[in-house]
Amino acid sequence: MSETNGFEPKIVAYVCNWCTYLGADLAGTSRLEYPSNVRIIRLPCTGRIDANLVVKAFEIGADAVLVSGCHPGDCHYNAGNYHARRRWILFRELMETIGFDMRRLHFSWISAAEGKKFQQVITEITEKTIALGPYNPYGAEPRVEPLSPMPQAAAGACDPAAELELRTAAKRVLESGQANVVIGYGARGPVFITRPDDVDRLVWNANCHQNLATYLKRKEIRALGKAAIVMKGCDERALIILERESQIARPDLHVIGMACNGMGQPKCAACDTRETRFADEKISSAQPPADMPDRYVAVDQILAMEPADRMAFFTAEFDRCLKCYACRQVCPMCYCERCIADKNRPQAIDTSPHRQGNFAWHIARAMHLAGRCVGCDECTRACPAGIDLRLLNLTLARTAEQQFAYRAGMDPALDPLIGTFSLQDKEEFIR
Amino acid sequence: MSEQISRDNLRTLVAGWLAAGKKVVGPVQVKPGMALFAPLRSADALLLDRWVRPSNSIKEVVFPRHEALYGYRIGKNSVELFDAAVFEEQIVIGAHPCDAASLPILDKLFNWDFQDEIYNQRRAGVTVISVACTESDDECFCTSVGLSPSAERGSDAMLLPRADGGFDVRLLSDKARGLFAEAKLAAGSDGQAAYAGPASKFDPAQVGAFAKDHFEDPFWAEHALACVGCGACAYTCPVCHCFDIVDEGNGREGVRARNWDACQYGMFTLHASGHNPRNNQAARQRQRIYHKFYMYPEKFGEILCTGCGNCARNCPEGLGVLPVVTEVSHG
Amino acid sequence: MDNLYRPDLMEIIGIQQHTSDVKSMQLRFRDPVRAANFRFDVGQFGIYSAFGSGESTFNICSSSNWRDRIEFCFRKVGRVTEALWKLEVGETMGFRGPYGGGYPWAEWRGKDLIFLGGGIAMPPIRCAIWYALENRDDFGDITIVYGARTVGDLVFRDELDEWAKHPRVRVVQCVDPGGQTPDWKGEIGFVPSVFERANVNAANAAALVIGPPIMIKATLPVLERTGATLSNVYTSLENRMKCGVGKCGRCNAGPVYVCKEGPVFTFEQLRQMPMDY
Repeated sequence: MSETNGFEPKIVAYVCNWCTYLGADLAGTSRLEYPSNVRIIRLPCTGRIDANLVVKAFEIGADAVLVSGCHPGDCHYNAGNYHARRRWILFRELMETIGFDMRRLHFSWISAAEGKKFQQVITEITEKTIALGPYNPYGAEPRVEPLSPMPQAAAGACDPAAELELRTAAKRVLESGQANVVIGYGARGPVFITRPDDVDRLVWNANCHQNLATYLKRKEIRALGKAAIVMKGCDERALIILERESQIARPDLHVIGMACNGMGQPKCAACDTRETRFADEKISSAQPPADMPDRYVAVDQILAMEPADRMAFFTAEFDRCLKCYACRQVCPMCYCERCIADKNRPQAIDTSPHRQGNFAWHIARAMHLAGRCVGCDECTRACPAGIDLRLLNLTLARTAEQQFAYRAGMDPALDPLIGTFSLQDKEEFIR
Repeated sequence: MSEQISRDNLRTLVAGWLAAGKKVVGPVQVKPGMALFAPLRSADALLLDRWVRPSNSIKEVVFPRHEALYGYRIGKNSVELFDAAVFEEQIVIGAHPCDAASLPILDKLFNWDFQDEIYNQRRAGVTVISVACTESDDECFCTSVGLSPSAERGSDAMLLPRADGGFDVRLLSDKARGLFAEAKLAAGSDGQAAYAGPASKFDPAQVGAFAKDHFEDPFWAEHALACVGCGACAYTCPVCHCFDIVDEGNGREGVRARNWDACQYGMFTLHASGHNPRNNQAARQRQRIYHKFYMYPEKFGEILCTGCGNCARNCPEGLGVLPVVTEVSHG
Repeated sequence: MDNLYRPDLMEIIGIQQHTSDVKSMQLRFRDPVRAANFRFDVGQFGIYSAFGSGESTFNICSSSNWRDRIEFCFRKVGRVTEALWKLEVGETMGFRGPYGGGYPWAEWRGKDLIFLGGGIAMPPIRCAIWYALENRDDFGDITIVYGARTVGDLVFRDELDEWAKHPRVRVVQCVDPGGQTPDWKGEIGFVPSVFERANVNAANAAALVIGPPIMIKATLPVLERTGATLSNVYTSLENRMKCGVGKCGRCNAGPVYVCKEGPVFTFEQLRQMPMDY
């Protein structure tokens, strides 16, 4: 046995019932010896292994985690492992960005016949983990790393004619009965215009930040009847996802598309959706910025740091989290009747706003938005603690674009990123 | 007799407290455009040079967002409980009068009939050194709720900014006198007139009366449409104090903890039966105003609001106390 | 330090299962001094906890004359109640209280008593019934109408039979139409109509009505028709609570903290309160 210095690592293995569990069983019945450091947790399928289970394992003291299931093509449920593989690709990038020690997160395909492979994998992981020493991901000293600011797009000039045109359009849809309510921007924030006489409360200026699509999920707004909604090009992407996920009936919605020259947010610098593409009527026009930076430049900045520094950075960010859930509530995509954060049987995410509870929440939030987040950055703008949540969203968006040529809400014809898979999805990280 | 301290000497004083291992909380810059009250790592981090309104409040020094009420250990057929709260001396510097005033308001709630000793012990260790405001922004309304940019309520010391960058010092409690014992103070005030603050924007009594008499009023539904039901207003409010009690731990040991909670969440009042008295956002928005301007005054003789404006500044949708109450009081 | 939130440790000395998801438990203070000194008023509530799962609020459903124990009754619906459900006799759980106020026995003295309950609302009535029976001479006729959706949902059934044996006590059990079993001997119908059929004169009565909002809504007019005034009709509110001591901010109905000023209210009081419960 290797030199352990008395350190016995705790290794959690989430395995599928049909292949790896039987492989482990075979290793046992074949009397193949492997280190006793592994705690095997059996689940029906790798498709069931939620990212939060991995986070939970680290939370409660695992020094390494293995996730293992059937080889491609062998899934008892046909494709659970393919779905899992796609999610792991995204999850690994997220964990990488946050600065988790990726040498402690392992994936493998081990069949029922591969008792020998199970023995080898566990032995290897154990030895590697012993060499790495104990793991306490949340023990980092929080450190504020001033990121060089994203090239800031100045808030663009708003066409005053556009505001008038918008009011005219709103008046028309209300008077014609095309809509019972116009969801738009007012002097302080969102307004809901139900009377044609009130359309002058609508404004169009450089403070029209909100992604109004978030109101389409709210029962108070739904109760107002058929809606017309003011959309910027970036916000409109949310409608495409919502329709794809059967949350809205697009024909029932009248979309007034506003061309936007930027609202002065970081996202605006790299915006290539200055105009809506599918609006029922479009007002004004706008051009993408001439010298557009890479939209993922912020992710590159983060990844330029060492993993430990990234962890220290995100620890400082998440330590400020109050769990006010502004990020969730403003998100057009967070429409679950009951959020996983509000469920307590089992308690996947600690409700407390302490470090581990905050990490678990933000990882879960990002993962639940993987391939769905349209990058409106409302979560980041809404956060009263200034947490740069867009870094997580951008990480996953970049992975989606680079690995799967997928940008959420851009192409209505594309199948959702999560919920589909390709036999060609990359798996070089899987043993 | 009045005294003054230069900005450099004040920083030296703060550095001395930090060097002595004291916990000092003050406004620090966390990113462009955002300051928060947070424990200081160094005296240099303390924002003293200009008026800032941190996005949070100082209530966290007495009422942390998360705190253990006690711990438990489960043995075979027995359970052992133990104290888990940790108390320490805390110095707050750079609070505004709207922050400092929150503490005496919260004192009433936490000592109403049942005394909350966890709160009281934390509170006993706190010294608040306020800096009078020299500016305000559109969301500020301290003068509407009986305070002012130099109101002393809740402060152990008040620092009044001088034209030369230093501060006139008013020591209001023995705790503060003790902390300033080592300070390099000079005699004399610059005699500047204190900043008067924003003109009064509404009458709180009128808002309370409206909340009471218009409980069932379409106003609430209309006003609440834009509310998305997050807790940003409550969590950054100096006096919002609602909390949840949860258990955290494994099957053998853990803590029972108190976490902030907010009346804007749909599940806040959800009964186990499924019945929910406030099952719509209008009822929840109304509760927030009703609590602050009618219920708290009824019970404790003063409104539950210090006019800091954080709710409006932090609301992603442009709501908050001020927009509502202005609408109410202007009919 | 005197910690407001720190519960007393209780030994579970008895468990009774009433339905597929309702149990009551008998508890004894682990601390003998506390056991000897503990007093409460019938109608008060406590906060009960399973360590590791959390706290939940229930009425103390035993009579204050039973000095050797307190009892509470719960339905398994959430994280805490599921954990409580798993506890066994001899195990330890937490209790803090008593909180709120009890029933106004002084005002009820000399009156007839009417107890109307629906479903899981029986426990806060049960303690009052026992207390009234233990002070039988203080009260006039006692009428108890208790209903549930089905026979299987009735709780404290054996005690219902026992109460009926007392002089000048009338017990009517009922189940919703369709909820009866072939051997069901009670009434079939809803509590308000069953009570109306019972033909009770409520003119000199204090009534305690606890149940789902729909039952209460339908019961009040019946009570008024039988002579009761709303200032003599009481209920116990069950607003969600966390602290029980007027701090956590969630149980208020209008300006009233149910945990401190309640949970017992007359309908006259409730009529003057905003609909916030």
